[in-house]
Amino acid sequence: MRRSIRSTAAVVIAILVAAMIGRAAPAIATEDVTRERLDNGVTVLVRENPLAPVVAVALLVRMGTRWERAENAGISNFVHAVMVKGTARRSGADLAEAVAGLGGKLIASGEVDYSGIQASALARFWRELLGLTAEVALTPKLEPADVDGERDWLLSRIQRQRDNPVARTLDELYAAAYGFHPYGLPTLGTPESLKRIDHAAIVAWYRQFYRPERIVLAVSGQVRSADVVAEARKLFGGLPRGGELAEPRNGTPASGARRLVIEQPAQQAQIAAGGLAPALADADHAAVKVLATVLGGGMAGRLFSELRDKEALAYTANAFYEPVREPGLLVLYLGTAPQNVARAEPALRREIERVRTQPVSADELRRAQGFLLGNYSMDRRTNARQAWYLAFYEIEGVGDDFPERYRAAVQAVTAADLMRVAQRYLGAPTIVILRPPAGR
Amino acid sequence: MSARGRLVLVLVLLAGCASGAAGGRAAVSSRPTREVLPNGVVLIAQEHRASDVVALQLWMRVGGRDETADELGLSHYLEHMLFKGTPTRPPGSIDALIEGLGGTSNAFTSQDYTHFDVVLPAQHMRAGIELLADIAVNASFEQRELDAERKVVFEEMRLTEDNPDRFMVRRLYEVGYAPHPYGRPLLGTEQLIGALTRDRLNAYYKKFYVPGDMVLVAVGAVKSADVRDAVVATFGRLSGSPPPRPPSASPPTLAGGRRDDIRRSEQQAYLGLGWRTAATNEPDVYAVDLLTYILGDSPSSRLSQRLRDQDRLVFAIEAAYGAWERAGLTTVVARLDPANLARAEATILEVIQRVKAEGVTEAERQRAIITAESNYAFDIETAEGLAKTYGQAETTWTLDDEIAYLSRLRKITAAQIQAVARKYFADDNYARVRFLPPASR
Repeated sequence: MRRSIRSTAAVVIAILVAAMIGRAAPAIATEDVTRERLDNGVTVLVRENPLAPVVAVALLVRMGTRWERAENAGISNFVHAVMVKGTARRSGADLAEAVAGLGGKLIASGEVDYSGIQASALARFWRELLGLTAEVALTPKLEPADVDGERDWLLSRIQRQRDNPVARTLDELYAAAYGFHPYGLPTLGTPESLKRIDHAAIVAWYRQFYRPERIVLAVSGQVRSADVVAEARKLFGGLPRGGELAEPRNGTPASGARRLVIEQPAQQAQIAAGGLAPALADADHAAVKVLATVLGGGMAGRLFSELRDKEALAYTANAFYEPVREPGLLVLYLGTAPQNVARAEPALRREIERVRTQPVSADELRRAQGFLLGNYSMDRRTNARQAWYLAFYEIEGVGDDFPERYRAAVQAVTAADLMRVAQRYLGAPTIVILRPPAGR
Repeated sequence: MSARGRLVLVLVLLAGCASGAAGGRAAVSSRPTREVLPNGVVLIAQEHRASDVVALQLWMRVGGRDETADELGLSHYLEHMLFKGTPTRPPGSIDALIEGLGGTSNAFTSQDYTHFDVVLPAQHMRAGIELLADIAVNASFEQRELDAERKVVFEEMRLTEDNPDRFMVRRLYEVGYAPHPYGRPLLGTEQLIGALTRDRLNAYYKKFYVPGDMVLVAVGAVKSADVRDAVVATFGRLSGSPPPRPPSASPPTLAGGRRDDIRRSEQQAYLGLGWRTAATNEPDVYAVDLLTYILGDSPSSRLSQRLRDQDRLVFAIEAAYGAWERAGLTTVVARLDPANLARAEATILEVIQRVKAEGVTEAERQRAIITAESNYAFDIETAEGLAKTYGQAETTWTLDDEIAYLSRLRKITAAQIQAVARKYFADDNYARVRFLPPASR
């Protein structure tokens, strides 16, 4: 496959950073979104999309690692793993059968700024799908036995993540770059934290965050908005208000030019560099997105074309930046043969230096803008992504018109902007190298 | 590659409902057009206005199975080299062109075919077709590019080995099909790729990249007539000898079973089992597909319910069906604690034995059909998803079979599902691959 690892890395990042503001489609241009705020504070967003006989639901809650600490890292995700194991009305097996009977999928997970349920099904079953989503969200059983069972399963996933060289490298990079800030915590948690989280903690965490004011429900598909809003009101409208929670007070992360080398048996070595970067709502956001694309977006990105195509110093070579509420991380990433590390690391540093000191050409800038916006459109074509984007932008509080403002901001980025943000955010990157022990 | 992909379903009947509930735009025209140009190029086109893009895919009827023992990895190597340049497109310019237009490109190789695709804003359809026609016959294979790519392919070999999920599927297919070409490594070997010359690659390219081996699929916000004009003016002008694809025998059976244990650095174990089932052109594909869904497609399937939720023997388990032109393999892959390996294997056999003895329920049959219908409905959300089902059908099956697929699936009875379980699955006719951690007992 030409660039299989790109998607692997992207998946890992989705887990870590939650927000995939990646790709794009101009097609569904008229963005007719119905917005309704129920009396108890639940936000309902519906997009009618008649194009395929499917429906997707994203129910997101303001809960995630942003509210966690090292002692209870992973609790948001843990709560969601237990939620799908049964509700007041049915067992986990019955729930799985009911979802499969709709031609559906239903997954629940915890991320960085949000957690929640994402589900999809054939459109003719939209009412049943919404009902099952509400059932899992509002009446989960949260049994002690399921807490123990899911802990084992989550521990196995943490082990798998540690065994995976790419995932491990990025986990270490986030931890090193963010320091004490909770964005440095893995969304899965750690073996220590999961062992500490008991049934009572799971129930308490669920109750603290599943309040109507914190819930956003987004639906996209072959549905009628009025019907969906009416059904949502029936399912969620009866939930009593819970009151607002205080925003978490997380310190400002400050990373400074750390360099970490980790040994782990593998065929490939990994090199990742990260610089703390602006948040999603920051004025520099669009310029850093373009910078990430110049460096490592697509196969014409500099890391790919220079380090892979010209010098063959890496197989995987990319860069990404997927910010959320608090500071984001601009990541440059190479996967390479162990014997290449000694040459690939300086080459990566050279590319960082180059973008900080020399202006990007007009052609390169245009290519990056085109690629970034093209991908953004392409990523917004499926109903699952549409529902997710609607809910995500609402959770992040960036406004309904964010996609239009973002497109305009990307188009307005200049070469001078790129040099300025490169100087500002890539001055002292944190570097993590994972390689097999010497002598292999 | 499609090794793990079950038969992708295309049901055009469903498309008729596409303008249903919310009313309004007709999104998907009812069926694709298919035309064989005088030089043998097959053109499949369909207007699909789900978005303003067009998916253009070149499917070559050449893959790993066409390689001789000393050509291993050449199909895949070509996949890497074609986007590198032609006499009129210098290295790097193709990627820059596609990405600058806001498009993406990708490519992959399987045992049966090699696939190149681009997705572009629809107004650039012609530029995309010109590009694909150019790289299909004019790739230049500059020595510098060829040498650089060698290292990239070595990296890809390492990368696959480092990913246990991917490596398990690859190993399972190798063990399940050897010594048939389906069981050989698609990436080739370090030795063969290390010694690969430009002449050798070029000879392979000239032999297989001929019009009779080409299928061009175009799906998107474009009129089929406009696509046809562009394709006739480009692909239609290509000439070449008739396709050389030799008849390929079916692989030998797995009677007696095959076993392969591999020590790896991960702490968790992996268990993979594979049974030889139906090839794409065999009538059993429908029943095998439903059986695979029932066994292990989702959290509600039998294997997951029994081994993950009830007995807690595995962390994850999944069944998949890879139907290829000459053979099919149904695989079950589990991730688990190494202490549970023997019990998990015995329990998988027991779950299958139960289907053979007692059959499946009507509710299971219906859920499996709805799952199939749903997979199709989600595939047609994007132009490239629909194009892929067509290209894959044309190269390994037929477009008509693909179009009739879901209606045929609906006619399969519970008794037929039980019958294929009895026909193909036994306790001593499967390939088994296990990944064992360093300190395994």
